[in-house]
Amino acid sequence: MGFSQFLDSRRDRAKALVKILGAQFNYVSILGADSKSTQIQVNANTSGINNGQDTECGFVVKLNNGSCFFEYAMDDIGADVAALAAEIKAAFSVSSALKHSSISHTALTDEPLVKSFNRPSDLHTYSDAQILDFCRKTRAVLQGKNEHILNAIVAFNTVEISKLFISANRELDQNYIYVSGMMFLVYRENEKVVQTYAFEGSNNVSDVMAKLPQKMDELVTRAHQLAFAKPIEPGVYDVITDPSITGLIAHEAFGHGVEMDQFVKDRALAKEYVGKYVASPICNMRDGAASTLDIASYFFDDDGVLAGDTQIIKDGILVTGISDLASAAQLGTPPTGNGRRESTRRKAYTRMTNTFFEKGTDKLEDMIASIQHGYMLFETDNGMEDPKNWAIQCVAQYGIEIVDGKLTENYVSPVVMSGYVPDLLKSISMISDDFVTCGSGFCGKGYKEWVRVSDGGPALKARVKLG
Amino acid sequence: MINLESMLRTNSQVTDYKINIHEIKSYEMFFVKGKLETLRRTNTCDTCVTVYVSHGEFLGNADFLVYPSTTEEALKDLISKAAERASLIDNKPYSLPAGGPEDCTVDSNFAKLRPEELAAKVANTVFDANSLPNGSLNSVEIFLNQHHETVVNSRGLRKSQTRYDAMVEAIPTYNGSIQSVELYKQYNFSNLDEKALYQEIADIMQAVQARYEAVKPQQKLDCKVILNKKELRELFFSISRNLRYSSVFNHSTVFKKGDDVQKNPTGDLISITMAGALEGNVCSAKFDSDGLSLGTQRIVEDGKALAYFGDNQYGQYLGEKPTGSLRCLHAATGSLSQKALLEGPYLEIIFMSGLQVDFFSDYIGGEVRLAYYHDGQKIIPVTGISVSGSVSDVLSSIRFSETEATQDGYTGPEKAMLTGMKIF
Repeated sequence: MGFSQFLDSRRDRAKALVKILGAQFNYVSILGADSKSTQIQVNANTSGINNGQDTECGFVVKLNNGSCFFEYAMDDIGADVAALAAEIKAAFSVSSALKHSSISHTALTDEPLVKSFNRPSDLHTYSDAQILDFCRKTRAVLQGKNEHILNAIVAFNTVEISKLFISANRELDQNYIYVSGMMFLVYRENEKVVQTYAFEGSNNVSDVMAKLPQKMDELVTRAHQLAFAKPIEPGVYDVITDPSITGLIAHEAFGHGVEMDQFVKDRALAKEYVGKYVASPICNMRDGAASTLDIASYFFDDDGVLAGDTQIIKDGILVTGISDLASAAQLGTPPTGNGRRESTRRKAYTRMTNTFFEKGTDKLEDMIASIQHGYMLFETDNGMEDPKNWAIQCVAQYGIEIVDGKLTENYVSPVVMSGYVPDLLKSISMISDDFVTCGSGFCGKGYKEWVRVSDGGPALKARVKLG
Repeated sequence: MINLESMLRTNSQVTDYKINIHEIKSYEMFFVKGKLETLRRTNTCDTCVTVYVSHGEFLGNADFLVYPSTTEEALKDLISKAAERASLIDNKPYSLPAGGPEDCTVDSNFAKLRPEELAAKVANTVFDANSLPNGSLNSVEIFLNQHHETVVNSRGLRKSQTRYDAMVEAIPTYNGSIQSVELYKQYNFSNLDEKALYQEIADIMQAVQARYEAVKPQQKLDCKVILNKKELRELFFSISRNLRYSSVFNHSTVFKKGDDVQKNPTGDLISITMAGALEGNVCSAKFDSDGLSLGTQRIVEDGKALAYFGDNQYGQYLGEKPTGSLRCLHAATGSLSQKALLEGPYLEIIFMSGLQVDFFSDYIGGEVRLAYYHDGQKIIPVTGISVSGSVSDVLSSIRFSETEATQDGYTGPEKAMLTGMKIF
């Protein structure tokens, strides 16, 4: 289908609006988004084809004069651009009763660039009926795997994103697609109901259709094991993290703390650790929309800054953080392409994209063999950041006990990792030589501003408090 | 709207339709270390159209979004495509709610002020509440929203409501000589009560000073645990999620009607009522997205699951009367006085990363960022600990305060006393 015709039809109006507002503001940019997302879901008794939550269409205007930023979000740029410009300027009244002054900062980056980006996908060669049929057939096979399955759900999400960015010196547009599939089980055995899922993502439908069903047997086996899982005895253990939990650590334990809008607010302890050891010397960590191809890969961010590939930790030393345009201007640093919005209706913040530890040199079997008693932890459930004080809460769906260097059949669930971030990162003693990222999750800023992210990496061996 | 409805009526495949229109006007302020960093306004309208297609013994539905920029030609295509999609869906039939016109407003004092005046009042109150030496609010975000929601369907239903909400996100910080520490505060409200807002912020400022002073306990703690309203909200909503029509229909539940939510109870008995609106509750609404008028539904009584609740489709599938999506939860208070709650050694949790409640794994717990440990003689702020336990064991012996509090959709006991939790 290619870049949005609607956004294309508003390109000249956006340029005109930038020009009019530019007479009063040093910096004016407009981001337009026209994104179409479809959620196809089949479960035991119902199915649906509906709008996915990434669907949006609208514009946001950003204005700046070296002080407070102004943003105005709207559905369309009407034909009377002058009237719209007047409406926008009139909207930014501040009550005289407000006791607080505004920030000041360096001039915003607006280097000249005109470019179009496109990432190919096979999405448009598939009809809704074909994807629905895949979901139905996959679900039927999954449901038939085991009499303990109460409900098997198969879902397919597609999102086609078109974005247009116009400023005085830049004119960028991008069009890309990402698709994901998920199998979800509600399973009853041992007088216990458990829920678990498997995920697959790609920019091609054919990849997801090929790979997702391969995870079926593992999913059913896991559901069975979880039905017999016991609570973990709280304590400090040697652990091996699977790539999902490695990603959870990269994202929650450390990633939020290097979002540089938190540096501006003095909310991140990491600000004081740039150039210092924060992790074991074998650790390397990156974030970037251009670092790998996953769900958070784009060509330019919502500030019109090209996608980055930022080395955050190199050989255990914190190198730098990631930033959006506004925080970079306040810190006097170059933006890293991490300005992201939940939608055009929401503010841009510094946000992670694809965040991961780089692979190491160890073999996973050697890592497991090195543990006398501990756990291997699997599958992210959720996590919560604490960038100022580096406390951790990362929840894994389950763990498997390791005894005398071997994985046992003893499952524990759920498993909450807690402790102090540098203690955890400095305890990393082995890193496997494989690498996987997964984009099944959403990330919030605090408890809001949800954006899609991926994270992952290799397996890590560390020592951490579990409960 | 009239044009949209007439276009939907003229499509021969469309059996029924529903239109949800959501207009939002917002005024948002973002402060960094007390200075205004960003001022935002939004003026947007989403129109979501759901088409229903009856085919054979089935009913299918599919939805699409319409924007002010959507042309008539594009709209015709969207309707046809949605009808095609709906015809692929083989769901059991159910009916849309019928009704006539109704225009409601959820009470709020927001309408009395211009948004910039309201925002200034909120901002000034928040910053004034920080009177702590060495205390600061490093980040404050204020969101004021006016929502106008309309539901129209092909059965004559035509309801609209205006409601307001506000959210303050504040990051209280204490800058001491040894370190700087912070906590997180999100406060949602739909009526401006400056005194209440001031107190919420003042309390979290006191808490952040306590976090600075907090120490990791040197010895293992073994005592009762006291939860406050934020964690109780999570606990009670976790129970209610098990009793939604959709959860029951999809087997994603651990409770059925008549089951004991509390097994062999020795503490206070749990009673929960779901409601469309509760006084002072930010989640209050007059009707849900299907246009169903929202009343109340008692779902747990004296520790037993009494009834389910939920939306139109799944209610009909279960042969129950749809209650609508009730977003407010009222839980009965208990028998514990403040004095009884605070007797003997206890750990009162003030701030957690997030209480994890998992009925499937029978787990309750999480990382504690600030708690007050009372050793029987003095109160010590503590940090760096976690708690965990069996949620079914905890519910059996839980005791609730006789005082009530409200937090984001929850109105119920202000505090609860838990026994049998591991502190580590």
